[in-house]
Amino acid sequence: MTTRKDLLDIESLSREEIEHLLDQAGPFKELFTRSVKKVPALKGKSVLTLFYEPSTRTLSSFEVAAKRLSADVTTFDVPHSSVVKGESVKDTIDTLQSMRTDYIIVRNSMSGLPLVIARETKASVINAGDGAHAHPTQALLDGFTFREVFPEMQRKKILIVGDILHSRVARSTSTLMRKLGVEVAWLGPGSLVPKHGPRDIKRFTNYDEAMQWGPDVVYLLRIQMERQSAPYFPSLREYTKLYGVTPERFKRLEDQGTYIMHPGPVNRGVELCDAVMDYQRCLINQQVENGIAARMAVLYWLKPESDQ
Amino acid sequence: MSALLIQNAQIACEENDTLTPADVLVENGIISKIAKGVEAPAGAKVVDASGKVLLPGMFDTHIHMREPGQEAKETIQSGTEAAINGGVTGVVLMPNTAPAIDSAAMVRTIYDIAKRDSRIPVYTSGCITKGREGKELAGIDGMLQLGVKMLTDDGDAVPDMSLLKRAMEYASEFDCFFASHCEVLDLSGPRALNEGVVSHRLGIVGSPACSEEICMDRDIRLAHAAGARLHIQHVSSKLGMETIRWWKSMGAKLSAEVSPHHLLFNEEDIGNYDTHYKMNPPLRTAEDNKALLEGLKEGVFDIIATDHAPHTPFEKAQDFVTSPNGITGLETALVSLYHHFIKAGEFGWGLIVKRYSAEPRRMMSLEPVPIEEGGAAEFLLFDPEGQTTFTSEFMRSKSQNTPFLDKTLDGSIDLVVLGDAVLLER
Repeated sequence: MTTRKDLLDIESLSREEIEHLLDQAGPFKELFTRSVKKVPALKGKSVLTLFYEPSTRTLSSFEVAAKRLSADVTTFDVPHSSVVKGESVKDTIDTLQSMRTDYIIVRNSMSGLPLVIARETKASVINAGDGAHAHPTQALLDGFTFREVFPEMQRKKILIVGDILHSRVARSTSTLMRKLGVEVAWLGPGSLVPKHGPRDIKRFTNYDEAMQWGPDVVYLLRIQMERQSAPYFPSLREYTKLYGVTPERFKRLEDQGTYIMHPGPVNRGVELCDAVMDYQRCLINQQVENGIAARMAVLYWLKPESDQ
Repeated sequence: MSALLIQNAQIACEENDTLTPADVLVENGIISKIAKGVEAPAGAKVVDASGKVLLPGMFDTHIHMREPGQEAKETIQSGTEAAINGGVTGVVLMPNTAPAIDSAAMVRTIYDIAKRDSRIPVYTSGCITKGREGKELAGIDGMLQLGVKMLTDDGDAVPDMSLLKRAMEYASEFDCFFASHCEVLDLSGPRALNEGVVSHRLGIVGSPACSEEICMDRDIRLAHAAGARLHIQHVSSKLGMETIRWWKSMGAKLSAEVSPHHLLFNEEDIGNYDTHYKMNPPLRTAEDNKALLEGLKEGVFDIIATDHAPHTPFEKAQDFVTSPNGITGLETALVSLYHHFIKAGEFGWGLIVKRYSAEPRRMMSLEPVPIEEGGAAEFLLFDPEGQTTFTSEFMRSKSQNTPFLDKTLDGSIDLVVLGDAVLLER
């Protein structure tokens, strides 16, 4: 399997590359059960995290992944850096280039920014979420988690519920699932389910109709009020009533044996009720653990130009 | 230059697509003779134009020169040299400079700079509102006294309909017209990307065509009510074109422009966040391209204008969301229109002369510059067999934010003449 310099999205990966990464994540996950959880695969390599948006889970997941591969990790302190003093991203890139880091893990609210950084640096750039565009490592961990439950993914069904319009997770995970043969449907308010997405994705605006479709997994998105410059639905209460996993709907999911996924962090009482968190088929914690394995696989697979 | 003889040229005119073969003699800046077999006067410069087309100089009414305020992008000097490089012999500037051109003093400043730095006539439009802030009316009378004809807050629509209507009522008695950048910001947001399959793929909330179309309809209705003359700038959508067609059929005092880039490119060209295709209004769909071309051929669009919008490489090298809107157009318009449309048989030279030379001048209350005996010499020589590669070295604009950068197109501009001066010769 050939390597790539950067991981910017799922769109540009072939099915074979995705499967290779999922295969790679397996042995890394096994490592977590050992007393020594590190391997020397990236010893001497430097990893820099550049998070322009607040993040706890993804940032720590990447840090743990890099450290378990024995890389040196530096967190670029964006809130206290010259970025907040008005330095442009281009100038920041020049600074990063001078640091001769091997990997840059970047999160930014601007769609496409990781591509700009990738073009300008020799480091391998991993997109840890850019605007509403892509979140490829989230998609890979989702794919890995899905495959653990359903080793044969072909023609399985996943229903993604919530704010599809603003969700990079929805875009990347939908793309990855489709590439692996999973049928994808979206459910949400008409104002948050884009009309212009791929045609092979079903669109529902009614919960009951969506459940009749018979999803094997319901993937709930976090309602991201901070990304919405304008109200897309009247109230959280109304959203929960129409699209949330309420206790009544949870009962139906249990009865149908449907699995639950969520990229976190969860808005309890909004997209799902408390009981879901203790549900045997709730995969949320498994996703978190798999996130580290999937990110290790990505770091191990990419090939920085600084290597050559 | 005492005399210039262009031999064996094919002369284009606005009335039809027929090219008339003749020699053209220019003496003291005036076309003194058009005939076959004209003898060269002693000392005359002689140009063999066999196989080449002689066109009246182009006139572009939608230009951002960035001076004053953003001289790193463009100045009146560099921008007018870019115009000459593209066969354009007259330009109208947009007033969104810093400070904005919203008073007689600013108009005078522009004309002083142009007198010093430009080899071609430079006209400017003036703001509708002070500082383009959409709050108070600009110094309209002072600007009109200095010859301003076009009032526009281009770059933005005037959001306050009541203010816009009052401005139109106030100025409708004067010899001027309004030009509208049509956009409802509530609908479009700040990011110039069509709402569609590409905006979805790239994860950027797009701007729907209805943002432009609603504002267009709004401004036309306001102008209609106020009795003002209105010009719609850079139309990008099929429904926008149809809106203009319908209002014209209703007898509205209305004109409209289309840009080469909205004819040639669509959202698919953006590919993977190529900022050379980021502009406002955004590139829409292939269906819109087709409709706009039909609108141009049918005369729904009165003029072609480039919306020449220079930005530094540094700015355009940023991510798509952050990078500014706009591309340069002065140097690429004529060659690209030839390459894609005339050579392909979509339309002939007559349309170019009419829509990119004669009508834009008429819109500004100027006389067209046809190639005829007794007329002032203001023309260019175009070689259909030539080629142009738009390298950094070729271009004279300070900015090279164009999708044509380093591309080669058929056709070249070999000579530009204004009065008794040869402005360009290749």
